[in-house]
Amino acid sequence: MIDKKTLEHLAKLARLELHSHEEEKMLHDLGKVFEHFEELKELDTESVVPLTGGTESKNVLRDDNKKQKPIARDVALEAFPHVEQGFLKVPPVFEEN
Amino acid sequence: MSHSPFNNLTIKKFHQGLVNKDFKALDIAEAYFKVIEEKDKEIGAYLTPLKDLAYTQAEETDLRIARKEAVGELAGVPLALKDNMLVKGERTTAGSKILNTYRGTYDATVISKLKNEGVVFLGKTNLDEFAMGASTENSGFHPTKNPHDLTRVPGGSSGGSAAAVAGHMALAALGSDTGGSIRQPAAFCGVVGLKPTYGAVSRHGLIAMASSLDQIGPITRTVEDAAIIFKAIAGQDSYDSTSVDVSYGDELTNPDFQKIKSLTVGIPEEYFIDPSASSGQGGIEPEVRAGVESVIAALKSAGIKFKKISLPHTKYALSAYYIIVPAEVSSNMARYDGIRYSQINHESEPSNLLELYTKTRSRGLGAEVKRRILLGTFVLSSGYYDAYYAKAQKVRALVKSDFTEAFKDVDVILTPVSPTRAFKIGERANDPLAMYLADIFTIPVNLAGLPGISIPVRQVKSEKENVSQSISHVANKHVTDLPIGFQLIGKPFREADILGLGQLYEKI
Repeated sequence: MIDKKTLEHLAKLARLELHSHEEEKMLHDLGKVFEHFEELKELDTESVVPLTGGTESKNVLRDDNKKQKPIARDVALEAFPHVEQGFLKVPPVFEEN
Repeated sequence: MSHSPFNNLTIKKFHQGLVNKDFKALDIAEAYFKVIEEKDKEIGAYLTPLKDLAYTQAEETDLRIARKEAVGELAGVPLALKDNMLVKGERTTAGSKILNTYRGTYDATVISKLKNEGVVFLGKTNLDEFAMGASTENSGFHPTKNPHDLTRVPGGSSGGSAAAVAGHMALAALGSDTGGSIRQPAAFCGVVGLKPTYGAVSRHGLIAMASSLDQIGPITRTVEDAAIIFKAIAGQDSYDSTSVDVSYGDELTNPDFQKIKSLTVGIPEEYFIDPSASSGQGGIEPEVRAGVESVIAALKSAGIKFKKISLPHTKYALSAYYIIVPAEVSSNMARYDGIRYSQINHESEPSNLLELYTKTRSRGLGAEVKRRILLGTFVLSSGYYDAYYAKAQKVRALVKSDFTEAFKDVDVILTPVSPTRAFKIGERANDPLAMYLADIFTIPVNLAGLPGISIPVRQVKSEKENVSQSISHVANKHVTDLPIGFQLIGKPFREADILGLGQLYEKI
């Protein structure tokens, strides 16, 4: 079950910040959802092969030649809010000191 | 044209009128925008109308007709698009503030297919943020209301598309369905909604929610219209490796009714549980049960054979779904980082990259999206993976094998779409589990990858149909109030069976 400490750890992993009132509601809601999940325990799935996707798993191959027309650089850059002279602008990755 | 000229318009009638030159495509597009301008202030079906694009597209079709060029059945058809499909150069938000200013970089495959058909795109419709919800209350912008009763939800997540079609603000629409998001709003709004077999329609350009479950499909006024649109958007696509090469023939739109009448329909006992049942899953409203029973009676009178079947793992589908979906969500939502797609205004400039990620996501994403990201992060974490995610995938296999077994005996399965009719706005907004339960009859179909269609239960005419006195009494009393939908589930890639049976029902 998810407690406050676990929730904060999960939020950090998912790059989310929760206010204390959000945290409280989230713990309550997730608690109810996990209570519902308890029913799965009564089901014996020891010998069941898991279904891992929407279709039968098989390779989809194509000839190794150029097919897709790439999206033009300037069009692709429009999807980024901060662009300077054709480069993406982001805050510093590392802080000083 | 008067302001409500569309009550009986279908794609076929539209096409006949267009080629007979009774009207121009532009006339109809303008008339739809007139209705949108009058009615959508209170319904809120649209997020972004595409008037300029629509008029340009309509004029192109008119020009082709003036030049005596042959046009297809969908040319000039005014269509609404759920706002999680990319249209090149147009705003595409997925109902999320985090994509508030994003414009599509390319056309989704379904969009380019429909552009080639000459379809007119009226606008982008509202949805629960990233399609996560069952009421369209979770939109980052505004809730959509049910055109049949403005105090009620239209269902979701394709609530904007269903409300647009029900409110005569589009002739038809596209939606997407991960656990019921086409079929449940179609049922709540009294229109038709088809969720195709997983892999039948390309997902390229659909903003992903849960990639192993998402499918695009039509929301329309009639089953025949749904068949026409499905035929146009289906097909393998090299941009979606999960799309499958299936040749759908003429039987989609021109069913052989003699063949349809020889189908056997299964009724799963697990889908008709009483509210008092100990499963704790709510049970179905008496009005919904009566409505669905009236459909069974009508189809029986047309000669369709019915058989009781069992899908024993039904009750576990909801739990499996709400483990698998958040797991996929937590991965699919990772791309919204504040660097790509769209900008969130920050009170102060983030001092480093991590702060930019965290601040953007915390401000830009809504509560349900955050809930699913956190839940998904948990069920995928080491130590819990086997107990939850791996377990859910095994349960998914069991749900699928239930259907495989059942389809050895029957061709089609008939169920309700949702346990209740449209609920009140706000009624379930603060209770995620209650919201999730609205999809208990549609979720298993996605887990198994099967095609499903939601069709409105017609007002019962007791003198015409062979319904028992008490059922017709309940049905007559309530069916007229709020729409009820029934669901037909088909074998993989047998959309023709459910569309054919649906078209038969419409003719009875």
